[in-house]
Amino acid sequence: MGSDEAAAVRTSGLSRDYGAGRGLFDLDIEVRAGEVFGYLGPNGAGKTTTIRLLMGLARPTRGSAWIFGLDCQSQAVEVKRHVGYVAGEPPQFGALRGREVIAYLGAMAGGIDQAYVKQLTERLELDLSRRFREYSTGNKKKLVLVVAFMHRPRLLILDEPTSGLDPLNQQEFYVMVREARQDGATVFLSSHVLSEVEHICDRVGIIRSGHLVKVASLEDLHRIRMHHVEVEFAGDVPVEAIRRAVGVDGVTAENHRLRCVVRGSFEPLMGALVGAHVVNLTSHEPSLEEAFLAYYSGAEEGVASPC
Amino acid sequence: MLRYAFRLHRWGLVGFAAVMVLSPYFQTGTFAQSAGTTAAQRAAFAHEMSALAVQLSYLLPAPYRVDTLAGYVQWRAWGTFSVVVSVWAIAAAAGAVRGDEEKQLVDSWLAAQVSRPRLVASRLASFGAAALVAVMAASLSTVLAAARYEPVSVAGVAGKALALWLLMVTLFALCSLVAQLTASLRGAQAAGAGLVVVLYLCDIVARSQHSFDGLSWVSPYRWYDATDSMAPGGHLDVAGVGLSVAAILAAGVLTALAFARRDLRGPLFSLPIPAATRDVPPSPALAWPVARLVYRQRWTLAGWMLITALVAVFMVTLAHGAVESLLSLPGMRAFLTHGSSDPYQGFIATFWFGTAELLVAGFAVHLVSGWAADDTEGILAAVLSTPRHRWAVIAERAGAAVVGIVVVVAVGSLAAAVASAGLGTRLDAAGVFRASWPLVPFALTFAAVGAVASTRWPRAAIGVLGILAFASFMTADLPPLMNWPGWVADLSVFQLYGTPLLTGVFWNGLWAMLAIAAVGFGAATLLMQRREVGP
Repeated sequence: MGSDEAAAVRTSGLSRDYGAGRGLFDLDIEVRAGEVFGYLGPNGAGKTTTIRLLMGLARPTRGSAWIFGLDCQSQAVEVKRHVGYVAGEPPQFGALRGREVIAYLGAMAGGIDQAYVKQLTERLELDLSRRFREYSTGNKKKLVLVVAFMHRPRLLILDEPTSGLDPLNQQEFYVMVREARQDGATVFLSSHVLSEVEHICDRVGIIRSGHLVKVASLEDLHRIRMHHVEVEFAGDVPVEAIRRAVGVDGVTAENHRLRCVVRGSFEPLMGALVGAHVVNLTSHEPSLEEAFLAYYSGAEEGVASPC
Repeated sequence: MLRYAFRLHRWGLVGFAAVMVLSPYFQTGTFAQSAGTTAAQRAAFAHEMSALAVQLSYLLPAPYRVDTLAGYVQWRAWGTFSVVVSVWAIAAAAGAVRGDEEKQLVDSWLAAQVSRPRLVASRLASFGAAALVAVMAASLSTVLAAARYEPVSVAGVAGKALALWLLMVTLFALCSLVAQLTASLRGAQAAGAGLVVVLYLCDIVARSQHSFDGLSWVSPYRWYDATDSMAPGGHLDVAGVGLSVAAILAAGVLTALAFARRDLRGPLFSLPIPAATRDVPPSPALAWPVARLVYRQRWTLAGWMLITALVAVFMVTLAHGAVESLLSLPGMRAFLTHGSSDPYQGFIATFWFGTAELLVAGFAVHLVSGWAADDTEGILAAVLSTPRHRWAVIAERAGAAVVGIVVVVAVGSLAAAVASAGLGTRLDAAGVFRASWPLVPFALTFAAVGAVASTRWPRAAIGVLGILAFASFMTADLPPLMNWPGWVADLSVFQLYGTPLLTGVFWNGLWAMLAIAAVGFGAATLLMQRREVGP
C-alpha cells in the first residue's frame, strides 16, 4: 500500500485487553487523509488506549494499526516522522524552560521552523522563557500543542487537547486545527465533550467501554446531542404544542414551569413557543455519559456502523 | 489518616526491616565462626577488629567489647544501621512532605478539614510507628540469633533499639523540615541527603580526630553511637536520648510552622516570578544525542562533582592527621605499607578510594532515579513520540552515564591529588590514575542494573538497586558463613573493584564489571523494545 494513497489512520481488529473487561476491543476504523476525525467517549472508554496503540507506546493484544500505510508497531519510528502528538497528561519537564523543551523535542523530531514556532507561541500567548514548572496547567497544555504543531506534521493525534485551556485559547486552537486541515493535514482528536467535536470535526467515532459504538456524521451527532431545557412562563404553558415539536421529549409541566429534553435542533421548540410569554429559559448539555445512556438506553453495546 | 499514612510506609518498612533482621543473623554467625572460644582467641580477634575499625571508621563507629558476641553485633550490625536507616528516613520524609503533595493527597486531607499541624504530627507519628516495627524486628532478630551461641542482655538490646528509633525519627523530622525549603520531591530528596551527609561527616570526623569531638555532638549519629548498652558494661547515653527528643520536638514544631506559612507545592521561601524573564537561547547541547541528556542532568552532575571534591579534600586532610597514629598499630602498618613504601599512599588507597566507591555508586543511583522519573513523569513517552528508536534511548542513557561518571571520578581524584600536594605529600600520578579509572566500570555496573530496573519497574528501580547494593555488600561476608567457595565473595561489586592503588588493577574483576555493564544495558535495550510506555 503506497503511503500517499493510504488512509491516514486505519485499524483492523485492534485490541488491548487489560483484563476485567477493561481495554479496547476489535477496533476497526478508517480516517481519511485530510479530515478532522473526532474520537468521542466518556472517561475510561478506551480513547487514550487507542491513541497509545497508534503511537506505538502500547502493544496490541491482537489486531493492527496503520498510519499512512505504515505499521504502528513495526514501523513506529517512520510513523512518527509524520505525526504530531499531544498526550492527555503533559510531560513534566521540571526546570527546563519552554524554549529548551522546544529545542529538546524539536531536535529529536528532525528540526523545526523557528518562525513557525514563534507564530504559534504568539497566537497562544505562551512565554517560552519561563521554566516548565512555573507554567500554569493551561500554559503546559499550550506548550505541548506547540510541540505537536511545530514541525507541520501530516497527522495530528491529540488526546483531549483543550482540557485546561481557557475559552479564548480553545477558540484559537480550533482555528489552528482548521488551518492545519486546509494545509492538508489530518487530525485525530479525542474528547469527551460533544459540543467540541461537533464544532470542529468532519466525522466522529464514538467509543464506550472499549467498543466502537458508531462512526457518526455530524447529522448523526446532532441526533445524539441533547439538552435539558427548563422554561418559565408568565401565563399558560403551551404543553401540547411543545409535545408535538420534533425532537422534544420528556415534557413535564408544573405551575408555570416546563421541563423537557431537546435532541438536535432547537428550532421546533422555538416554533412551539411562539406567542407564549416566556419569562426565563435555561438549557444545559448533559455529560457525554448521560447522553450516551439516554441515546442507547436498553440497547446492548452496539456494533460499529462505519460510514 | 494515621493508619493510611502508616500504610504509605509499608514498602519502606518491609525492605529496610528485612535488612535490619538479616544483618544481626549474619553477624552472629560470623562472630561464632571467627572469634574463637578461649579468652586469648577472643582478645586476638578484638585486636584485629580494632585495626579493621580504623579502616572502616567512615562506615562504623568505634568498637566496644568486640571480644563478646553482643559487642561485635552492636558494632558490626547495629553500627551500619545508622547508614541504612538514613536512606529510609530521607526517602520517607521527602515522600511524606513532597511526594504526597505532588500526588495531591495533601490537598484532599486539608480539604477534609485536617489541620496542618495535625498533618505534620500524624506523618511524624506514622513514620515513628513504622520505625518502631523495624527496630523491634531487628531487636528480636538480634536476641534470637545470639541465643544460638551466647545470650545477650535484652535490656541492653532495648537500650540500643531506643537509640536507633530516636535516630530514625530525628532524621525523619530534620529531613521533613528541610523539605519545606524545596518545591519538589527530588529537591526534597537532595536537600535531605545533603543535610544527612553533613551530619554524618560531623560524626565520622571525630571518629579519627578526637579534637573534633565537640563538633560531633551536633550530629544525631553521635547521639546514637554514644549508646553502647548492648555490649557488657555498656550504657544508655541519657544525654544522647535527651538531645534526640529535643531535636524531634524542635524539628516537628518548626516543620509545622513552616508548613503553615507556605503554599502547597511551593517552597517556604521563594523569589517572586519576575514579570519578564530574560529570553535565553536554548543550549546547543540540546541538539545532540548524549549531550542533551548530560545537559538535563547538569545540576545533578554539578552537585555530585562538588560533593565528591569536598569529600576528597576532607579525607585527604583527615589522612594527614590520622596516619601517624594508625602506624602505631602493627596490623595497620603492614596493611598501609603493602605494595608501597609510603603509608600515606596506603591510607589514601583505603580511605579515599573506598569512599569514592560509595560516592560514584551513589551518583549512578541518582542517575537511575532520573531515568525512572523520566518514565513516570511522561518525558519518555514524549521522547518516543518523536522519530526515535527505543534502543537509542538506552544507548543515550549509557553514554550520558559514562560521561557523568568519568567527570565525577576525575574531579574526585584531581581534588584528592591537589589537596594532598597542598599538604606536602605528592601522590603518585600513575597510581592515582590506575586506581581512578576502574571506578568508571564499577559505577557503570550500578547504572546498568539500574537501566534494567528503571526499564522494567520504573517505580521500584531505586528499591531494586538498593537491594543489589546491600546484597553486594553482604556477599563479602556470606561465603565463609555458608561454606560457599571463596570465589563467591568476588561476585560482590565492591570486591570486583579491588585495591588498584596498592595491588594493581584487578583484571578479572574489571572484566566482570564490564560484562555486567554490557549485559545490563543490553537487557535494558531488549526490555525497552518490548515494553509499554506511559500510564
